[in-house]
Amino acid sequence: MSNQTPRDIDLSACEREPIHIPGSIQPHGVLFALSQADMTLTHATANTATVFGIDPAAILGKPFGEALPEIAVALESEMTEPVSAGASRLLRTVVLGTAKGEIAFDAVLSRSDGHLILELEAAAEDAVSSIDALYPALRRFVEELHGASTLDQLCQLAAADIRRMTGFDRVLIYRFDEAWNGTVIAEDRNDALPSYLDLRFPASDIPAQARELYRRNRLRIIPDANYTPVPIQSHDPVPLDLSDSVLRSVSPVHLEYMRNMGTPASMSISILRDGALWGLISCHNSKPRRVSLPVRNACDFLTQIFSLQLEARENAMVADNRVRLRAVEARLLAHMAGENSFVDGLVGHQDDLMLLAGAQGAAIVTDEQCWLLGETPGEERVEALSAWLAEHHPEDVFATDRLAELLPEARAYADRASGLLAISISKVRSSYILWFRPEIVQTVKWGGNPEKPVREEAGALRLHPRRSFEIWKETVRGRSLPWDQSEIEAVKELRNAIVGIVLRRAEELAALADELRRSNKELEAFSYSVSHDLRAPFRHIVGYSELLKKHEWADLSERGKRYIDTIIESAYTAGTLVDNLLRFSQMGRTALNPKPVDTAELVESIRRNLTMHAGEQRIDWIIHDLPSIVADPTLIRLAFENLLDNAVKYSRTRDISRVEVGSYRDSGDIVFFVRDNGVGFDMKYVDKLFGVFQRLHRIEEFEGTGIGLANVRRIVERHGGRSWAEGQPDKGATFYIALPESEGAA
Amino acid sequence: MPDLKPILLVEDNPKDLELTLAALEQSQLANEVVVVRDGEEALEFLQRRGAYANRNTSDPAVVLLDLKLPKIDGLEVLERVKADPRLKQTPVVMLTSSREESDLVRSYELGVNAFVVKPVGFREFFDAIQDIGVFWAILNEPPPVPVTG
Repeated sequence: MSNQTPRDIDLSACEREPIHIPGSIQPHGVLFALSQADMTLTHATANTATVFGIDPAAILGKPFGEALPEIAVALESEMTEPVSAGASRLLRTVVLGTAKGEIAFDAVLSRSDGHLILELEAAAEDAVSSIDALYPALRRFVEELHGASTLDQLCQLAAADIRRMTGFDRVLIYRFDEAWNGTVIAEDRNDALPSYLDLRFPASDIPAQARELYRRNRLRIIPDANYTPVPIQSHDPVPLDLSDSVLRSVSPVHLEYMRNMGTPASMSISILRDGALWGLISCHNSKPRRVSLPVRNACDFLTQIFSLQLEARENAMVADNRVRLRAVEARLLAHMAGENSFVDGLVGHQDDLMLLAGAQGAAIVTDEQCWLLGETPGEERVEALSAWLAEHHPEDVFATDRLAELLPEARAYADRASGLLAISISKVRSSYILWFRPEIVQTVKWGGNPEKPVREEAGALRLHPRRSFEIWKETVRGRSLPWDQSEIEAVKELRNAIVGIVLRRAEELAALADELRRSNKELEAFSYSVSHDLRAPFRHIVGYSELLKKHEWADLSERGKRYIDTIIESAYTAGTLVDNLLRFSQMGRTALNPKPVDTAELVESIRRNLTMHAGEQRIDWIIHDLPSIVADPTLIRLAFENLLDNAVKYSRTRDISRVEVGSYRDSGDIVFFVRDNGVGFDMKYVDKLFGVFQRLHRIEEFEGTGIGLANVRRIVERHGGRSWAEGQPDKGATFYIALPESEGAA
Repeated sequence: MPDLKPILLVEDNPKDLELTLAALEQSQLANEVVVVRDGEEALEFLQRRGAYANRNTSDPAVVLLDLKLPKIDGLEVLERVKADPRLKQTPVVMLTSSREESDLVRSYELGVNAFVVKPVGFREFFDAIQDIGVFWAILNEPPPVPVTG
C-alpha cells in the first residue's frame, strides 16, 4: 500500500519472513535429514558432494546405512535413542573420511516434523575445546557470581566470562523492555569494535518470529556474514523446519544488518526468565569467527546459570521491596484503624501514603471532597482526572508512566503527574486514591536512527537495515519513572484493606441503623402506651376529685378541702408532666414540616394569650420588628410559647414585668431573643438550663415541669440552629435562639 | 320544640364514661345521651342492626367516639361511618386519651369532624365536652335532608 509509513513497511516485511524454513544452511557444516519412520534419507545439503564426495541426488530416498554407510555405522545407534523434541543434542565428535582426508566433526541431532536432522559441523580449532578445558572457566564464573552484589556487576561478569571463553571482540548484555526495544546494559570488549553500552535498539531489529526462535533455540552463531548459503536438496516439496538446527541459514536482511554494523561474525545466547525472553548475550567480532560446539554449549550453560542468578537477585530485590512496603502498609492500616474514616488515617500520615508507592504527590478523591498531598496537579484537574478514570479505566488498579499519551490535557501538568498510579475505592461513589510522579526528561541513545531506510527495488518495496549505527539521541518527554511491580502490588493490597474497612464500616452502620430503628419502634410503642394508659389515671384522679369537691364541698372540713385541692394539683401536675414528656419525645421523632411562619404574628398571638391569663400581673411588652422564617409552625410556636411563658413567669415578682422580643442577623443566622427583668439566674448554671427536668428554682417559687427549655433546645436543634442564654441573679435573663438563614429565611 | 337528636357516647372505660357523663350533665344539654361500650355496639346502633334493629330514636346529632375500644376500635368505627352513605354526614368527634400524632393524622384522613385529646384538668375537660356538646348538638346545622319520593 502506497500510504504505509516506512516503519509499518519495515515491521511487517521483517515479521512476515519465514526464517525457520530458509531451505539452506550456513556452509560450516553438512546437514542430513532422515525419515524417523523408516530411517531413509530425505534431505541432504548440496555440500555433501564437496565434503564427502557423494552426490546427494544419488542417495536421497535410500536407507541411512546404504546412503551414508560410514556415518550410519558411527552414529545410527545413538541417533535412534529418543531425543526430546525442540532441543538439539550434541552427540559427540566423530572423525570421518572426507574428500580432504579425515576430519573431526561435531555431530548434532535434532527432530523436526517426523525427521531426524543430523548436522555435522567441522570441529573448530578453539583455544578451549573440551569440557575439561572449559570446566575451570565455568567454575570461576560460578564463584565470581557470589561476589557480585548488584545486577550490573552480575551482567558485567557474564559479559567478561563469555568473551574470555569465546574470544569475541565485543560481548553485550542486551535487555528487552516491555515494547521489545533492547538496551545494552553491560559490555566487555577490546578496541576492535566500538562501545555499544547504553545504546537502545528498536524492537524491529529483532522481529517477533525471530524472538520466538530465540526463545526456542537458545544459541545461534553466524561465523561469517558473507557466507554463501548451501541449499538443502530433497524430493520432499515441504520445506524442512530448521527451528532447532544449529546450521540454519539466516535472513539476508540480518546478514546485511551485520555487515552494516561492521560485525561479520556474531553469536547470541538467549537469557530466559520464566520461559520468556528477558534479554540476549550478544557476541560480535570484527572478523569472521567460529566457536566450537562444546564452547557454545558451555556458553549456553553459563548463560543459564546467569539467568538463574538474575532471577534470584531480582526476586530477592522484589522480596526486599515487598517487606519494606508491607511495613509501610501495616503502618497505614494502623493509622486508618485509629480514625473514624480511612481518609483521616491516610491524610494524617501522608508521608507513609506516598512512601507506599514511591510517589511525590497523592490525592484522595471522594464524591464529597478532594484532598491533595504533596506535589499534585490542582484540585479541578485532579477531579477531572478521576472522572476520566471512572469513564475510561474501570479497573481496580491503574498505572501509567506516560499519562499525557493517554490524556493529552495532562501535558499541562506533566511536571507533577506524568506518572499516575490509581486505585478505585468505590465505583458507585467514584472514590479514588491517586499517586503522582513527576516527568523525568530522558535522553535515549539509539544505536543508529531506528527508522530503517526503505528503497524501491524492481517495483516493490524491499527492506534494507540502516547503514549507520552512530549514536542517535532522542529526548523522551512526558514520562515518569515507571511504577514498580511491588509498588503496584502494595497499592493493590492497600485498596483491598480500604475496601474491607469501608465495607465493614458500612455493615456496622447498617447494623446501627437497624438497632436504631428497633429502639425507635420500642420508644414509639412505649410512648403510645404512656399516652393512653398513664395519662388516663391522672385524668381520673383530677376528675373524681373535682366531682367530689363539687358535690361534697359543703360537708368537708377545711383540712379535707385543702387535701382535695392538693390531690387535684398533684395529679394535674403529673398529668401535665406526662403531656410534656410525650411532646418532648414526639419532637425528636416526627418529621419537620417547614412552612413560612410570620414570627411577628406568632409572638403577638402568644402575647395575647399570656396577657389574658396574666391576672394581676402587669406586663410591659416591648416587641421589635420580627421577620418571616421557614420553620415547622407547630414546633416553632411551642418554642416561642415556652420562652415567652418563662419570661412572664420569672418576672412576675416585679412591680411591672418587662418582656422584650427582638431579632437580628448574625453570620448567616437569624437570632431571636426574649429578654425579661425577672429573677434571672447565675451563669454558672447556664449549662443546666436547657437539660430535661432541670430546674433552678424551687417548685413553690415557680411552678413547671422543667422540660420547657429542653423542648426549646430540641426544636431549635432540629431546625439546625442553636440556643443559649445570658442572665444574672435578680437582674433578668435573655434567651437566644439562632436559626440558619438559608433554612430559616422566608 | 324541635325534636332533639341524641348524643351517642362510645366509651369502654367506666371512669371516663362517668366523668364524660358528669361533664355532659353539667353542660345542661337537653339531648338524650345514648351510651354504648364498644365499637361493634356503636356500629349496630348507628346502622340499626342487632339489638338496635328496631330502635325508634333518630340518628345522633354527634358521636363522641373513644379511640381505643374493644372489638372494633375507634378508627375503624370512624372509617365505616364515613364510608356509609346514610351516616357519613353524622358528625364524629374523636375523644381520646392519646396524644399520638399518627392517630390524629389518621382520624383526619378518615374524615373526623373534630379530634379532642382529653385534657388532664377536669375544668378543661368540662369545657371541652361542653363546647363539643353545644357546638355539635345545638349550633351545628345539619345538611338538608334530601326529599325522598
